[in-house]
Amino acid sequence: MRPATPRGFRDVLFQEAAERRAVSDAIGDAFESWGFRAVETPAVEEYRTLEAGAGASLEGTAFRLFDVDGTLLALRPEMTLPIARLAATRLAGSPGPYRIRYAAEVYREQASLRGEARQFTQTGIELVGVNGPASDAEVVSVLVEALAAAGLTEFTVGIGTVAVLRALLDASGGDADWRDEVMRAAHKGDLVGLERLTRRERIDAAAAAALRAVPRIGGGADAIERCRELVAAAGCGSALDGLAETWRLLEATGATERVRIDFGIMRSFDYYTGLIIEAYAPGLGLPLGGGGRYDDVLATFGAPMPAAGFALSLERVRIALQEQGVTPETPGLDAVIAGPDAAEVLRAAARLRASGSRVRVSPGADACTAVAEAEREGAGRALLARDGRVFALAEDGSEAGEVAL
Amino acid sequence: MSDSSRPLRMAVPKGALLEGTIALLEEAGADVGALADPGRQLIIDAQGMRYIVARPTDIPAYVAYGAADVGIVGADVLAEAGLDVIEVADLRFGGCRFVVAELEGTEHTVEEAYRHLGVLRVATKYPRVTEAHFAAKGIPVEIVKLHGNIELAPAIGLADRIVDITATGRTLSENGLRIVEDVMESTARFVANPVSARIDADRVMGLADRLEQAARRIEGVGDAR
Repeated sequence: MRPATPRGFRDVLFQEAAERRAVSDAIGDAFESWGFRAVETPAVEEYRTLEAGAGASLEGTAFRLFDVDGTLLALRPEMTLPIARLAATRLAGSPGPYRIRYAAEVYREQASLRGEARQFTQTGIELVGVNGPASDAEVVSVLVEALAAAGLTEFTVGIGTVAVLRALLDASGGDADWRDEVMRAAHKGDLVGLERLTRRERIDAAAAAALRAVPRIGGGADAIERCRELVAAAGCGSALDGLAETWRLLEATGATERVRIDFGIMRSFDYYTGLIIEAYAPGLGLPLGGGGRYDDVLATFGAPMPAAGFALSLERVRIALQEQGVTPETPGLDAVIAGPDAAEVLRAAARLRASGSRVRVSPGADACTAVAEAEREGAGRALLARDGRVFALAEDGSEAGEVAL
Repeated sequence: MSDSSRPLRMAVPKGALLEGTIALLEEAGADVGALADPGRQLIIDAQGMRYIVARPTDIPAYVAYGAADVGIVGADVLAEAGLDVIEVADLRFGGCRFVVAELEGTEHTVEEAYRHLGVLRVATKYPRVTEAHFAAKGIPVEIVKLHGNIELAPAIGLADRIVDITATGRTLSENGLRIVEDVMESTARFVANPVSARIDADRVMGLADRLEQAARRIEGVGDAR
């Protein structure tokens, strides 16, 4: 047989793996500079844990499996819930807030013939144990700095809040079924459906008008004011106070150059309670990543604590870098060293490594083979060890001077 | 960040919706360029716009994956595709409805077969919509996906019923079919890529508003006649 990877899974070869690590490290270092520290969680969670946190949005996205005990498990489809579980269990009792970062593979089921990956890498942060505009502004600022650290020259971070939608639903006078339908339409990005739903009878006119208009509002501080006018008419203007203060803090740090207010952002996970974030790069039809505030999730795990965070898709960040002509710097090989005597080659290589070089050994190979190998592997130079000495090799395989070790 | 020097890429549907699409774009004041007479060209550049002429069923994928920023596509095709696009505006033309139909006079035999087997055989071009419709009613179905001439299926014994779209119901009645029930109404929709709708919001939402207003004007003229 000719084995292949399953649909939606792939191998990553040398150069790409090196570039992925470089980007991931640059982003991780940016997180670390804010005091976010790395954790690792298992690839598999109990399905009921994920279900308790994510509800219906998990349906059809999680890879599920039974173990020999008959427990229903799932490969983690995202990292927020595993981190929330970890914070609610392992960190319970230690003084918060917690600043947590991660870089991990996640798995999502995808229908066939859609050309979508089923494994991708998320790198992100969760800020657990604090809420309010200052922590929202921190999360947004970390995202902006991480994208810049990744090397992106052009990107935008959109921020909005689900508090507006929730307050309008409360003010609308609609019943629970109607509200569910509105939420579903909003999550799907179905503005036509949303518009229809607001035309139903017995829906407060001001709330209905705001529900129709708000998803189209975006911009800077002016967008908050335009939204506030509509929302205040329905008696819920205070739903915007948090976002307005977050914006003011972001302005104070200059982050607003990269940030845009956008009330049209819809995130498909329905655990968000306040701030929602998405990051975009021009020319990429999917967001680089996103997140938001999910103050109720930890309560479902028995440890009520506010929390907010975001995740970036490493794959999409790399595509965006490519589009912007940015190649992540990867350390190359310094030398290939060959020679007739294996012990001598290994000894010389050890001394070169001790002085900080990256050296590939080719014991037994002759000069010409060493030159060809150095060329193929992108090594800085080819060396030959013989008679207790090391020589640099010219392109034709001739010795071009002794190298002092 | 919206780079307005780049044309807005719009996927427009070949076939039944093309004429209405061009009329609407013109009414909205957009330059339609050679769209009315594209020859074999599939990509047509016009003032501020790049039109990509596509098979209607492919448009949701073009827009969802960002190959086009926006598109015009029937709500029927959109529901069947189930892809992640923002459904921005109802353009009110290209009206049709999804219906369930069966051969005239087979009502009793179909019901008898259902009672006996506990499952209906349904032929359709739209398996996803069909599945969702019958699942909501709690009726188990075996779906036979066909690519055309769905109305033939009951007559040649391939299925008990069909789910298909119809504008006037004429094709159905000419083939001896009777409409059993409605599934959903469909009109043309203006859809946007989720990212284009955010980073190019001014152009996308501006165009949506102009198209919506144009659609109202065209509908108004139609009503006045």
